[in-house]
Amino acid sequence: MAAATARTQALSLLAAANNHGDLAVKLSSLRQVKEILLSLDPSLSAEIFPYLTELHSSREILVRKSLLEIIEEVGLRMMDHSYALVTVLLVLARDEDPIVAKKAVSVGTAFYCSILEEMAMQFHHRGKVDRWVGELWTWMVKFKDVVFSTALEPGSVGVKVLALKFMETFILLFTPDASDPENFSNEGSRQMFNISWLAGGHPILNSVTLMSEANRTFGILQDLVQSAGRLPGALTVAVVSCLAVVARKRPVHYNTVLSVLLDFHPNLVTVKGCHAASVQYSIRTALLGFLRCTSSPMIESRDKLLRALRAMNASDVADQAVRQVDKLIRNNERFARENWSGKSNQAISHPNSWDLSKKRKMSQGEDDTINGEAAPKRLRHNTNMHLTPQVKISDSPHGPVSINGISPANHPSDSEPTPVEQMVSMIGALLAEGDRGAASLDILISQLHPDMLADIVITSMKHLPSSPPTLTTSLATPADIVDSMRSPTLQPQVPFDPTLPAGLSVSDVPSLNSAVADPRRDPRRDPRRIDPRRSNSSVAPTSLPVSEGKEPIPVQMDISSLPSDPLSVPAVTAGDSGSVHPTTIEHSQNKVVGSSVIRLIDQPDCREDLLTAPSERVYPSKGKSSLDVPLSPCRDDRGIRETKFSGSETKCRDDLASIPDFDQHSPLESGPDFDLQPPAASDATAEEESYRELASVPSYVELTTEQSKTVGKLALERIIESNRHVCGFDCNKIRMPLIARLIAKIGAGNDVVAILREHISVDHREFKGHELVLHVLYHLHSMANLDTDETSSYSAVYENFLITVARSFLDALPASDKSFSRLFGEAPHLPDSAIKLLDELCSTRHDPTGREISDSERVTQGLGAVWSLILVRPNERKEFLAIALNCSVHSEEDIRAKAIRLVTNKLYHLTYTSEHVEKFATDMLLTAVNSEADLSQTGFIAEGIKTEAKSQITSTSDSPSSRTSDTHSQQGLQTSRDASVLSFAEAQRLISLFFALCKKKPSLLRLVFEVYGKAPKTVIQAFHRHIPILIRELGSSYKELLHIISDPPKGSENLLTLVLQILTQELAPSSDLITTVKHLYETKLKDVSILIPLLSSLSKDEVLPIFPPLLNLPPEKFQLALAHILQGSAHTGPALTPAEVLIAIHDVVPEKNGPPLKKITDACSACFEQRTVFTQQVLAKALGQMVDRTPLPLLFMRTVIQAIDAFPTLVDVVMEILSKLVSRQIWRLPKLWPGFLKCVSQTQPHSFPVLLELPMPQLESIMKKFPDLRPSLTAYANQPAIRASLPNSALSVLGLENGQDSRSQMHPSDAASSIHGAALT
Amino acid sequence: MRFRYAMVCSSNQNRSMEAHFLLKRQGLDVASYGTGSHVKLPGPSAREPNVYDFGTPYKQMFDELRRKDPELYKRNGILQMLKRNLNVKLAPQRWQDNAGDGVFDVVMTFEEKVFDSVLEDLNNREQSLMKTILVMNLEVKDNHEEAAIGGRLALELCQEIEGNETWEDTIDDIVAGFEKQQRRKLVYSISFY
Repeated sequence: MAAATARTQALSLLAAANNHGDLAVKLSSLRQVKEILLSLDPSLSAEIFPYLTELHSSREILVRKSLLEIIEEVGLRMMDHSYALVTVLLVLARDEDPIVAKKAVSVGTAFYCSILEEMAMQFHHRGKVDRWVGELWTWMVKFKDVVFSTALEPGSVGVKVLALKFMETFILLFTPDASDPENFSNEGSRQMFNISWLAGGHPILNSVTLMSEANRTFGILQDLVQSAGRLPGALTVAVVSCLAVVARKRPVHYNTVLSVLLDFHPNLVTVKGCHAASVQYSIRTALLGFLRCTSSPMIESRDKLLRALRAMNASDVADQAVRQVDKLIRNNERFARENWSGKSNQAISHPNSWDLSKKRKMSQGEDDTINGEAAPKRLRHNTNMHLTPQVKISDSPHGPVSINGISPANHPSDSEPTPVEQMVSMIGALLAEGDRGAASLDILISQLHPDMLADIVITSMKHLPSSPPTLTTSLATPADIVDSMRSPTLQPQVPFDPTLPAGLSVSDVPSLNSAVADPRRDPRRDPRRIDPRRSNSSVAPTSLPVSEGKEPIPVQMDISSLPSDPLSVPAVTAGDSGSVHPTTIEHSQNKVVGSSVIRLIDQPDCREDLLTAPSERVYPSKGKSSLDVPLSPCRDDRGIRETKFSGSETKCRDDLASIPDFDQHSPLESGPDFDLQPPAASDATAEEESYRELASVPSYVELTTEQSKTVGKLALERIIESNRHVCGFDCNKIRMPLIARLIAKIGAGNDVVAILREHISVDHREFKGHELVLHVLYHLHSMANLDTDETSSYSAVYENFLITVARSFLDALPASDKSFSRLFGEAPHLPDSAIKLLDELCSTRHDPTGREISDSERVTQGLGAVWSLILVRPNERKEFLAIALNCSVHSEEDIRAKAIRLVTNKLYHLTYTSEHVEKFATDMLLTAVNSEADLSQTGFIAEGIKTEAKSQITSTSDSPSSRTSDTHSQQGLQTSRDASVLSFAEAQRLISLFFALCKKKPSLLRLVFEVYGKAPKTVIQAFHRHIPILIRELGSSYKELLHIISDPPKGSENLLTLVLQILTQELAPSSDLITTVKHLYETKLKDVSILIPLLSSLSKDEVLPIFPPLLNLPPEKFQLALAHILQGSAHTGPALTPAEVLIAIHDVVPEKNGPPLKKITDACSACFEQRTVFTQQVLAKALGQMVDRTPLPLLFMRTVIQAIDAFPTLVDVVMEILSKLVSRQIWRLPKLWPGFLKCVSQTQPHSFPVLLELPMPQLESIMKKFPDLRPSLTAYANQPAIRASLPNSALSVLGLENGQDSRSQMHPSDAASSIHGAALT
Repeated sequence: MRFRYAMVCSSNQNRSMEAHFLLKRQGLDVASYGTGSHVKLPGPSAREPNVYDFGTPYKQMFDELRRKDPELYKRNGILQMLKRNLNVKLAPQRWQDNAGDGVFDVVMTFEEKVFDSVLEDLNNREQSLMKTILVMNLEVKDNHEEAAIGGRLALELCQEIEGNETWEDTIDDIVAGFEKQQRRKLVYSISFY
């Protein structure tokens, strides 16, 4: 009944929502409908759904949006009835309004995931799938298609971004998630569906199809990134973000995504609507995110990421992220250890129920302070997942137990404390301070003398319980534990602990000096150690013989040369842990703990684990009878390891696998010991034997070479492994000799280096890896030197090891890393192959097979290495020098430039290399110069250099550098034969080095001058390319250069001119230079053109004498000279003013040796061409000065005519000049008179007054010569004013004695037009 | 379109609070956060900052610093700043610890480090809501003057974004326009809830 009312109510509300005019009413009605739907029974609500869905066509955006909200809320709750609702999603996902469409996509995605999950769950639980789910799924498949198409079709970016996100979800759903296959059954937390749930098959979902579709979708996203240039920036950013999520959550795709992102270099600047910086930043964010991940593919690609981020100027952030991840990993490891050891310092300093889980937060809180990150969240992505065990551990009440264990007890010894005891108590006090104290303790212990340390340990052992522990409930008395560790064969559940034996064997190595110390220490140690144990358990007495049996052991150990006595330290350790026991009666517990910590720090590798195990065993056994009790400590320990290092799991398996193998050969003993110390296998046997049967003679097991190699490799792996577990301590003292000997023993093949590789390169930065490598190398080297019989084998091992390590550096580390050059620099000896490697690094640019193209950073790295090696390795200096020199004539310009920089800036300054460098450079220069002149000679010279280089490099015939140089010379020959001329590039290649050297040593330049004359054209071109740069760097005042200039070799004139030009181009030439050049001109070189560059700095007196030869130059050179003269220097002003120049030109008399007249007229014309310089005023001034000269310059009249032609406004000036000429009786100068006449005729009627000034005979002759002048002149003279002033003779010449007035009337107009005409010309 | 904004800086004191204050005054829906591990305020010297946990009320800091050295903290503007802050909200909040505050549409950060932290944090959350979030970074120096400028710019930017139905279609142009007009660099990214 109520339901029916509700239904009616809902329908009326829906009607309102559909039809009411007020939007607010519509929305509030919808809200009420939702309430009703939620309150009703699903089946009843479903009846209303069809009415509800009608709203999808509402015109109101908000109504459609509200509809989607209702669908989301109601539909997901009653999915089995939501069929009608789902169809709406399809429609609205294409809605024109982006807000509605976005909402539809997001609601649809929720449906998609829920339905998928429902299907999988139903099948999982009931073995079948309901029909309604299947139907919904078909709609969902359609929905997917709709969304995918919106992602790719044009439309609102907002919707597309969400569609992309849906694609990402799709990929995640249907890409198998390898990391947690358990999730399906784990229903505690809501977990997103994953295709791996369908492993057992599914009636509806075809996992193969879905997976391939997911892969296709992944491909679509990739394509989108690659086509980013055409997309809006927001879309690109979203795609990158989605891909990053995929890569992080599905490591399968990681490498693909990484390479796509790293290759992403679109030219976005040009794209409108795309904010390039943000797109770039999204890449950066993605890479940073990868860097913060701890899953293995990301850790492996770390270098690549770092390099890419550095290129984006994000190295700080990147380094920080790396540090942060490293720290996180370390923290977790340490934490796991501390938890298991159960005696963390905190537990001691905070005795009252210290909550370890709180501590975990704390430690990550510290982390946070550094990186400002939410550590717990990051941890979620930490696929190593070692947190789980930690959390569990934190729940167990270790704290209180350990505190009980430490609780002070009465101890009887109240005697005066010895220095050692004081030390012990001091250490105890430090320990009580917790972490801070631990740091100081670390320092303190590192400073202690080993003997002192040993004494401390021994002293602390005084506090061992004198009576057996009172515990009876457990097997695990300390002694038991010790025994179980010692003789694993006795306790079959223990035997495969990987770490424990490592502790055994490695532990004593540090006391290499212990050969002396041991006898002294042993007696003290033994009774104390043995006493408690002997009384403890029945097995204990066996340990006594062991320690006695120790003495013969070193003697037998010659094979491995390991002076180890594996038993003593575990014994001490066991003692320590024993003393933690509550029944201890000595000083304070702090001391005891202190001693164990000493151990820990002193020999930290595996000892810690060793310590951990026993002490931990103590707690549960005493505190309460927990379930763990039956577990052996070693197993626990290994358990930790497995959780801690996902990668180590396989290794553990390897270990296990190796054991049967080993057992075959030595059935008597247990796996681990053997495994660990294969070279000393016999010793181990001896120990084991003596262990059980006190005085038995040790037996030996012969291993084949293969076996010993395998075993050695396993041992190596384990040592490295153990090192990784306990990093941060200075424990290499022990490990390094051990590894070195192992490698010497088993030979250093690729496989061995592969084992070491990671360790080395990871640690190399902290010098540890480097130290280790050097240690190994020195060991191998000394072995090779000592072993005269079998030199080859050890030296081969040495060589192999060195090369492989070097290559691994090159492969794994960025080019900026110095490890490579340090390795070569400090290695005891560099074999030929090492030099070959270096040479390849520097110069292998284009491999014929195209295999390897070394990038320029590598070349820099190689050359850097070469440089440092030349400095530090005098023996191989020549070989390195040859590498550098060969690079400096490398055909790749990039390599060449780098090498030249190295050679000139560094090597050339070294006294021992400079001569060589110079010779090489000279030879190369000559090769270039002579290439055309004499082909055979070229070959000869090149070959000569090569052979020389060859002999430098190495005696080995197939050394790569000689090969390289051979190919160079062959190339050289080839080109010269083919083209018979060197190509420009080739010339560049050969001469660049020499010119670079000239900068350092200018006297070398002389050679360039000397060979200039005979050099082929291309080489000269190359010279001309280099010279300007060089000269500018040297500066003009350079003495050497002046020296060369003062005495230039024959044929170098052009070069000299070029040099002078360059020298004077920017700066005023120095007085020295001027003097030198002038002197040169006066004495040797008569070519005035060399003076041209200097002209601007010369004074008037200096320029005038050389004017005639300058005129004699070709026109373009004269023009240049003219420019220089007129330009002058900033200080002195021009040497000559334009007017002076003009006069100077006119002053030149064409003589026998001087320039011909033609040159002079050309020069004048050249001046007139420069109308801006030789202006009207200039001409006026020059002409005015010249007209006063006696004799008049030959070309004077010519110039006057030219002047009036060029500047008709000069007419007044010209008339003055003409008049002056008349007064100077120009008619007497036959060479000028015709010019005068011509000028007069040209300048009529202005020239009429001048004409009339002429004496009668001359006037008459003019009238005769230019009859057409007469009428106008007559008309002019007939003007009353003028006529009056004229003498009668003149009038008579003009025929004006009697009246001719009528004619004269018309002439003024003529005159005017004539003037006009003159003005126009 | 009514968007929900978050202003984020390192300590949720100066830059983000200045912007919070301004946006709030303009009636925008805004919250503010810090991404640092602690709230740090300048102390008597660079080596002695005043460090508080997030969640410590501004009032408490105000009282404490006023008690410690009223002269100093008045002179360096800290007290004024805290006074402003305590009128805006109760206490500084840490971005990473307040994922429960709901969904934001736009996040403004004022420092690259903060920007990275916000993005990283968003990436580490479970992204199942299918909701986009725009994160923008505007570099602003951590002093009062710059914060005032930065806050004003943030306000302008948010108002411009507010003027759009969906920001996805226009964000590239908005950012480019802002850069051109203000001559300041701006970077945005897109993440999801």
